[in-house]
Amino acid sequence: MKKIYISIFALSAYFFSGCSNDYLDVDQTESISTKDIELFNNDAGAATFVTAIYSKFLDWNMTSFSWIGLSSIASDDADKGSSPGDTGSDKDLMDALTYNASTPSTSEIFAANYEGINRCNQALSIIPQLDKADPALRARLLGEAKFLRAFMYFTLVKTYGGVPIIDHLPNPSSEEDRVMQLTRKSSDEVYAYIESDLNDAIAVLPNKSEYAASEKGRASKGAAYALLAKINLYQKNWQKVVDNCNLVTGYAIVSDYASMYKLAGENDAESIFEIQGTGSVPAKGISGYSNTQGARGAGGWGWGFNTPSQSLVNAYETGDVRKNATIIFAGTTLYDGRVVPLTVENPRYNYKAYSSAFTDGWETDVNIKYLRYAEVLLMKAEALNELNQTPAAILLLNQIRTRAGLGNTTAVSQGDVKTAIWKERRVEMAFEHDRFFDLVRTGQAVAAFAIDGKTFVAGKHELFPLPQAFITQAGGLSTQNPGY
Amino acid sequence: MRNIIFSFLALILLPAYMSGQVIKGKVLDKDGIGIPGAMIVAADSKTSTDTDFDGNFNINAKVGEVLKISMVGFDALSVPATAAPMSIQLQESKDTELKEVVIIGYGTRKKIDNTTAITSLKAEEISKTKVLNASQAIQGKAAGVQVISSDLPGSTPSVIIRGLGTALGGRTPLYIVDGMPTENINNVNTNDITSYEILKDASALAIYGTRAANGVIIITTKKGKGDKVSVEFESFAGFRAPLKKVKMAGSNKYSHYSNSALQTTTFSQDQPVNTDWFDAITRTGSYTQNNVSVSGASENIKYFFSLGNYQEKAILNGLDYSRTTFRSNNEFKISKKLTLNQNFSFGSANSTPKPLSAFTNAYKQSPIVPVRFSNGQYGVSYVGADGFAGTSGSSFNNVGNPVAQLDYFDEEQRSITLQGGLKLDYDILKSLKFTSQFNGEYYSWKNYNFEDTKTIWQSNNNPGQLSSIIYPADKNINLLTKGRNQYFNWNLSNYLTYNKVFADIHDIELTAGIETSVRGAREQLTVARKNVNADSNYWSLAGVDYVGTVVNYRDEVFNENKIASYFGRFQYKLMDRYLFTGTIRRDGSSNFGKDYRWGTFPAFGLGWVITKEEFMANAKGIDLLKLRGGWGKLGNQNVPLNNQAYSSGLTYYLGGSILNEGTTINSQVDPSLSWEITEETSAGLDFELLNNRLKGSFDVYDKTTTNVILNTRPYITSGISNSSPAHVGEVSNKGYEIALRWDDKLTDNLSYWVGGNFSNNKNELTGLKDATLAPITGGDLGNGQWTKLLDNTSVGKPLGSFYMYEYAGFDATNGKMLYYTATGAKVTQDALDANADKKYVGSILPNSTYGVTLGINYKNFDFSVDGYGTSGAKVYNGKKAQRFTGENIEDSLATDFWTVNNTTASKPGPFNQVPVASTYYLESGDFFRINNITLGYKIPLKGEFLNSCRIYVNAINPFITQKFSGFSPELNGNGDPYGTQGIELDAYPTLRSVVIGANLKF
Repeated sequence: MKKIYISIFALSAYFFSGCSNDYLDVDQTESISTKDIELFNNDAGAATFVTAIYSKFLDWNMTSFSWIGLSSIASDDADKGSSPGDTGSDKDLMDALTYNASTPSTSEIFAANYEGINRCNQALSIIPQLDKADPALRARLLGEAKFLRAFMYFTLVKTYGGVPIIDHLPNPSSEEDRVMQLTRKSSDEVYAYIESDLNDAIAVLPNKSEYAASEKGRASKGAAYALLAKINLYQKNWQKVVDNCNLVTGYAIVSDYASMYKLAGENDAESIFEIQGTGSVPAKGISGYSNTQGARGAGGWGWGFNTPSQSLVNAYETGDVRKNATIIFAGTTLYDGRVVPLTVENPRYNYKAYSSAFTDGWETDVNIKYLRYAEVLLMKAEALNELNQTPAAILLLNQIRTRAGLGNTTAVSQGDVKTAIWKERRVEMAFEHDRFFDLVRTGQAVAAFAIDGKTFVAGKHELFPLPQAFITQAGGLSTQNPGY
Repeated sequence: MRNIIFSFLALILLPAYMSGQVIKGKVLDKDGIGIPGAMIVAADSKTSTDTDFDGNFNINAKVGEVLKISMVGFDALSVPATAAPMSIQLQESKDTELKEVVIIGYGTRKKIDNTTAITSLKAEEISKTKVLNASQAIQGKAAGVQVISSDLPGSTPSVIIRGLGTALGGRTPLYIVDGMPTENINNVNTNDITSYEILKDASALAIYGTRAANGVIIITTKKGKGDKVSVEFESFAGFRAPLKKVKMAGSNKYSHYSNSALQTTTFSQDQPVNTDWFDAITRTGSYTQNNVSVSGASENIKYFFSLGNYQEKAILNGLDYSRTTFRSNNEFKISKKLTLNQNFSFGSANSTPKPLSAFTNAYKQSPIVPVRFSNGQYGVSYVGADGFAGTSGSSFNNVGNPVAQLDYFDEEQRSITLQGGLKLDYDILKSLKFTSQFNGEYYSWKNYNFEDTKTIWQSNNNPGQLSSIIYPADKNINLLTKGRNQYFNWNLSNYLTYNKVFADIHDIELTAGIETSVRGAREQLTVARKNVNADSNYWSLAGVDYVGTVVNYRDEVFNENKIASYFGRFQYKLMDRYLFTGTIRRDGSSNFGKDYRWGTFPAFGLGWVITKEEFMANAKGIDLLKLRGGWGKLGNQNVPLNNQAYSSGLTYYLGGSILNEGTTINSQVDPSLSWEITEETSAGLDFELLNNRLKGSFDVYDKTTTNVILNTRPYITSGISNSSPAHVGEVSNKGYEIALRWDDKLTDNLSYWVGGNFSNNKNELTGLKDATLAPITGGDLGNGQWTKLLDNTSVGKPLGSFYMYEYAGFDATNGKMLYYTATGAKVTQDALDANADKKYVGSILPNSTYGVTLGINYKNFDFSVDGYGTSGAKVYNGKKAQRFTGENIEDSLATDFWTVNNTTASKPGPFNQVPVASTYYLESGDFFRINNITLGYKIPLKGEFLNSCRIYVNAINPFITQKFSGFSPELNGNGDPYGTQGIELDAYPTLRSVVIGANLKF
């Protein structure tokens, strides 16, 4: 009898051990388990991972105050603005080029872009597993993710130089992945990586015209070519600039420059890629973008940062329609009838961040034009000029000038045309977050900052400092940029 | 009596046998059964021997020579040797702990044979102090166990056994109530408890594996005994009041101080109102408890029923608490071999909670504000042109009226806990027993909270009842929040126990079993609705759809947790004096990733009963010496989890009007995350001296938690900004414990005892792996200041460390408070550098805790005193540190603060700035408190009906000596060392209670 009991007991223990591993698999109920990929195994589910990437561009740390500080206030186009005593945490340092490795604005942009890249890597890892989603859709979504990843690596490389290339989702316990996350690659390697992503994107992305009206904000083939051309421009690969600009088709410059910065001009014929904000409920706008740059003081509606500099005002030729479309002058009436009284604290504000319908909203309908056809024409002009096709370049330049209400350029020589194109870029694309990087790219920085009354240290200020927190984490695997 | 007869016989026979020979005999217990292993010493003949398995012995001795017979667990006896075979009966020691049995988890062990550190407390100790939760009652009674309790009705004390080993993980010991693992014993009536065992060292704890690292408390409830029905009544009633109050400034002193602070004459120096806000929000508390139990036993059935009711009207106005418990424990002896134990308990608690922030508001609100204005409206802090508080004027502080706060706070909570279990014991063989036990626990909780939003708004904003001030039309009239919460946990264990003695000297006990514990999914439902009917009867009408008024709806199901386990224990006793215990448990927990969920927790213990050695046989005055030691490994599976989740809400318009959903994973997971592991090496010495009158023990331990979980930040380039838990820390707890107790009986009518225990523990964060920690900034004061820190700089400091600026006195020229910078300079708070100038300035954890006890029994009177103290802890005077402009100050400050005319004052000048967290508000938490004084009288009874009647008077917390200037240095707060533990902010004061009660047995 006792043997029976013991065997039953032993048997039950054995049975218990056999099934206990499954027994211990408890379903997650308080949050959606990442193991439960089946939940997203359909068209809509696949798309959500890419939407999350686009959504990152609306974040405060990605496209708003820090980005304004780094790409605009630091340039000669803009001053800190606001009240003299309000530093905007570090915008005074950005303006004076006295930032360091611990300055929040420079640190945030680094972290935010990697956050976006992480979302790209998630999409690139998860979407191929969603076999019940339409294969064509999946291919397009992967193309969008690659375009967006290239977008962010381009931001990183032009801001910080060579950075770590995170090409897959890192495993926290992998030594190889640890090294990957902490080791800077050369800027050439980063540019090569961006090109490879863009080429993959070009292969699968549709043209903008093929997207439904409600999906115009998605990355298109034209956007990928335009970005590729810009990468070529930064690498002075002139022929490729021309080739890729030629492949950006189906776009045209619109006749009214000012219209592009109003609600009606969003995703217009000139627009190639924009960051999309919507102010109506439920609002999904670029967090604080309009408000931080809105007029400050009595009669104003915002914090008053990033004010157009005198240097920029001076850069406009007489009669240039772009001046009054770019700059709000105190004491004037805006296109929607709003009067900006002289009681506001600063003489000028950024018009391109102004939302008529949601003026003081935290999230507004303002879009940021990231790539538009006018820039494609200017890039092509610059490249043609470098390729000794100056007359062709002048034609393109004049196209831009005509739209701005200006006469043809007086520049004739290759050198003068080059300068004229650079200057045209400045006024055409003012407050579109291009100027600082353009100055560095073209080597005009030292001179331009001198005019603006600031000291640009050659050999240092071409790049922003990497976050000290990253250098600390890297523990010797990466070194800081020179001068910081 | 028998001893005397034996002695007498021996004396008669003495002359005949004086020469040496073999003396034969047998040592028996009171039932006449032979006692094996008893020691016989013939001192004159210098011989000694042990009894065999049947209690027989042979010894070379002279007839008439005195033989000393000793055996652990029995009173030693000296008898003259006789030629005839001797029959020696030993009396079991009456109150010695030696024969006591301790519960060790999945079995019991004679205390003398136990190799581990277990404190065993009996019913009397637990029910003596009249408090709700048994863990509060044991404060100071067990060495190495720190209890931080609060007198807030229904609160759960923190119990820390041999030091704190975790920062983010669960800190609560595992409670095993009649076999059911649980986290809280608020539902257990202390009168139902028969024993409360605290397993302290790793060799005792390892049998509970991955849940044992914080210690285990095993609670056993009563069973029927005797052979007739016994009915017991126990009732008491008591009054409660704060043990200590803080004296606040009166109206005129307040006005003087505030005028000085504001440099104005805003407040009149002759105030008509002088409100004592503390008195206004408190009342004399009262509580009663009534219990009745029916128990008994017959040949095959033991039964125990009890019904208890506890009611408390707390000192805070409107805060009431009541609990009703029912328990039924029965044992059925189904056959000779089969025994079934059944237990069931029902606990229901009702309470009307009130916000404890009322205490802080009462501390801060100005005495010039009346509780109610003459128009009947609640007083608010408006000061008029006359310098008095009035219904209009300018607002001079942001403190609400605490009386109004309590009156408007309308909440009720009800909970029901059902626990039950079945235990089957089957004796397969004489030496082999099979035990199967199932336990379940069901818990259900519900509440409502009603906020009369509009009335509160009117009361705050319109005390003058002006028709010009109109409640905004778009706001809620009121808000009703209802919650429901429930879970079901269960536990099943099956094990075999094998016990046999081989060759008389090898006593072996083997236990092996399997167990599963399921902590069911917590279901939680919360609904908030606006503009409900003012009459609470009509809040939940049938057939009405409330969709339009729902402002918040949450329906949550928290993850289930399952544990599967195997365990085994080998206990070996050689020659009754060499002891060995080996334990192993293997646990799998569903909390962790597939490859990391199983863990093995081994332990061993060694013991040596020195007094059983022959060489100790003649040692005078030493009745017991036992050396024990062990090592073991334990786990804490109640740690932050690494469940990775998809998060959504990342919506984006892609140009048109369609808002697209976005999904991402915003956390990184360490797949190797698993339990925290604690290893402990410990040793102890138990002794009983001077005829068992002096008993004591000494323990030392060295405990290290090697993989403490803290939140770390992933690399920036991972793109994950949320921190995630990882094994990075190492925490050490080293300490010693001493317990001593002297018991003596002077006459049949008079006995007394005096005892005490002292524990010292050194807690330290000894290491951190190379990781970027997400710092824990704790002890938030709610005004932008925090007081505690755990980050990469905390290595070498104890857990729960305060981190703040060091106060450097004040500037005699302007009265401003000064603080030391890192370089030692004295600066005002605006010049401080938050990154450089803060320091670690002590911890909420005490170095030492101690308890004392003494008692006298004289005839029918019994009298006892218990005290408890701690030293080395720091406490933060949070309410004082939170004080802001226009709020009241303590009387001691109001009478001696810096002014231009009083530059040598002891306190700094008035200020209107939020003060930085500094040592100015940090005080010593040392205290010694008399926890309980009991005086009882047993009425002499001869009646058949009433067997016993004892009446008693208790004084609970009658006296305290403390250094802290606040209400109470015992501050459990939210029980979190990085929360409000050790900070007096929104804290319920410690109470002094006087209780009168009676216990009747029929």
